[in-house]
Amino acid sequence: MRRLFTNPLMFSFAVVAVALALPHAFKSPYYIHLMTLALIWIVLAQGQNLTQGFVGYVSIAQAGFMGIGAYISTLLTMNYGFSVWATLVIAPLLTGLLAIVAGYPSLRVKGHYFSIVTLAYNMVIFIVLMTFRALTGGEAGIPDVPRPSELILFGNVFSFEGRSNLNYYALALLAAVLATTCCALVLHSRAGRVMLAIRQNEDLAEAIGVVTSRYKLFAFVMSSILAGLAGTLYAHYIGFLNPEPFGVDQSLNIILAVILGGSGTLTGPIVGAVSVTFLPELLRFADSFRLITYGLILVMATIFLPKGLVPLVASCWRWLRSSQPIARHNKPTSKA
Amino acid sequence: MNELLQQIFNGLTIGSVYTLVALGLTVVFGILGIAHFAHGSLAMFGGYLTFVFSTSMGLSFFTSIAMAMPVGAVMGMLIERLAYRPVRDAPHINAFIIALGLTMMLEGGNLLLFGADQVIIQTPYQQVFDFGGIFVAQLRMVVIVTAVTLVAVVTILLLKTKTGKSVRAVAQNRHAAVLMGVNVNFVSSVVFGISSALGVAAGALIGALLALAPGVGESFAVKGFAVLILGGLGSLPGAILGGLVLGVSESLAAGFLSSAYKDVISFLIMILVLLVMPQGLMGKK
Repeated sequence: MRRLFTNPLMFSFAVVAVALALPHAFKSPYYIHLMTLALIWIVLAQGQNLTQGFVGYVSIAQAGFMGIGAYISTLLTMNYGFSVWATLVIAPLLTGLLAIVAGYPSLRVKGHYFSIVTLAYNMVIFIVLMTFRALTGGEAGIPDVPRPSELILFGNVFSFEGRSNLNYYALALLAAVLATTCCALVLHSRAGRVMLAIRQNEDLAEAIGVVTSRYKLFAFVMSSILAGLAGTLYAHYIGFLNPEPFGVDQSLNIILAVILGGSGTLTGPIVGAVSVTFLPELLRFADSFRLITYGLILVMATIFLPKGLVPLVASCWRWLRSSQPIARHNKPTSKA
Repeated sequence: MNELLQQIFNGLTIGSVYTLVALGLTVVFGILGIAHFAHGSLAMFGGYLTFVFSTSMGLSFFTSIAMAMPVGAVMGMLIERLAYRPVRDAPHINAFIIALGLTMMLEGGNLLLFGADQVIIQTPYQQVFDFGGIFVAQLRMVVIVTAVTLVAVVTILLLKTKTGKSVRAVAQNRHAAVLMGVNVNFVSSVVFGISSALGVAAGALIGALLALAPGVGESFAVKGFAVLILGGLGSLPGAILGGLVLGVSESLAAGFLSSAYKDVISFLIMILVLLVMPQGLMGKK
């Protein structure tokens, strides 16, 4: 039992097994729907965490890049006859290509100004999606976005049609696992170490001879690829596409997910994404206060819980096991 | 030719409002290093407040602004005290995330208090003058004069008063200023008060000139930061020049290219400036 929590690989397998079993435990289609959305959000949040958590650059364009992925995939399948399986790969890559072009000028500025420039990107993306009616259908949107075609594996037919489809849930789970694995591999590679170094002291990293801009661009592009993947999954799942879910407020929600879960950790974005998907359900009684509540949570979490939920739970867990004063393990630092 | 001049005049009007927004942002950024993104939403709140004062209480446009400005100043001071001060010694990114949270709260509050419908503040300045083919609306002149007056007042405050001197001292070197006996907490409050009052005035002018609606505040905050990037960070003349350049180029883009994409064009200009001269038009190298 103890190894389950100490060995990261065992822990991940346990989490995936629970995720696979969950829909069978909760048979309600509505919960399966929400959990599918939560899995898509995990892909999104893992991407956001790469820039926000690892490199320390808050990008406010994640929802915009998600929208780009969603629209590229939808237009390719509906207008050019691509299969959804193909666009699941092509659309994220094209989103990444666009992110190279967008990232290059924006990464010339540091800190806040990078955030502002990415925010401008998200606004530009939103305006173009709204105004370029000939291509995107504008606010009225594009109805009947197709689901992936049937898949035949080992003689079994897997269909992806219908709301709260278990096979689509599995597909989203696969994407979430893939995104998390990618981020884990990056984190434990040389590139990941450099990213953390940039977050801690960019000037020092540069002085040592690291070409920081290359690593920042890498993180930004990879984050956008994951956003594109999430967008593609979202578009073909919901089946109706309009620009509304890709506005600035959605990008802010993604930032909230990463902060709440714990930025710079691998489990944090997972916890955060699930919380942010289920939060509206908990706050349903106060729907008109939703924006205020989200904002308040964001402010309070940043002031009182700058490391997020996951490190908090982890230090509580260590404290319980060692029965030593928590202060010895978790010295208060000002670093977030 | 006339149309060109007409568009330039229109651009100068909106540009003076951008300058006003950017001035509030640059003062806060220069002194506290905070990218106070909630500024735009606070400005919208001020605009709505002016609207309420002028319609339901029947006050004149300028009396309403004068009443809304202190309310905004107090809110700005509260925001500084309750939200920004606790993270003053944390990494700057935390303050920015708090700014985003505050934006959500203020936008939510505006929605709750004033509704989602678009609101235009009615003013008595409805005349239009014809200067040899260029039409100059009285309202636009009032907007320019108000903005210029406020910018001048704040500049004098910063350059000529003792408080202004301590504000500039903190901007130059915080630690040295503390050692010289400058009360940094007081300076922070003052700066947020001035900045928010300016924001409220800008919000009221936007409400009279264009309209107040959900989301407008965010886009004005982005424009304000675009002005800072254009003009050079922390530079007062840069904020003025940047605001006018952004306003005029946007107006020309709307007049001669496409009005639907005018915001896209103004952001492209900002990105171009970043690429060619990252320090901005008037920034120090």
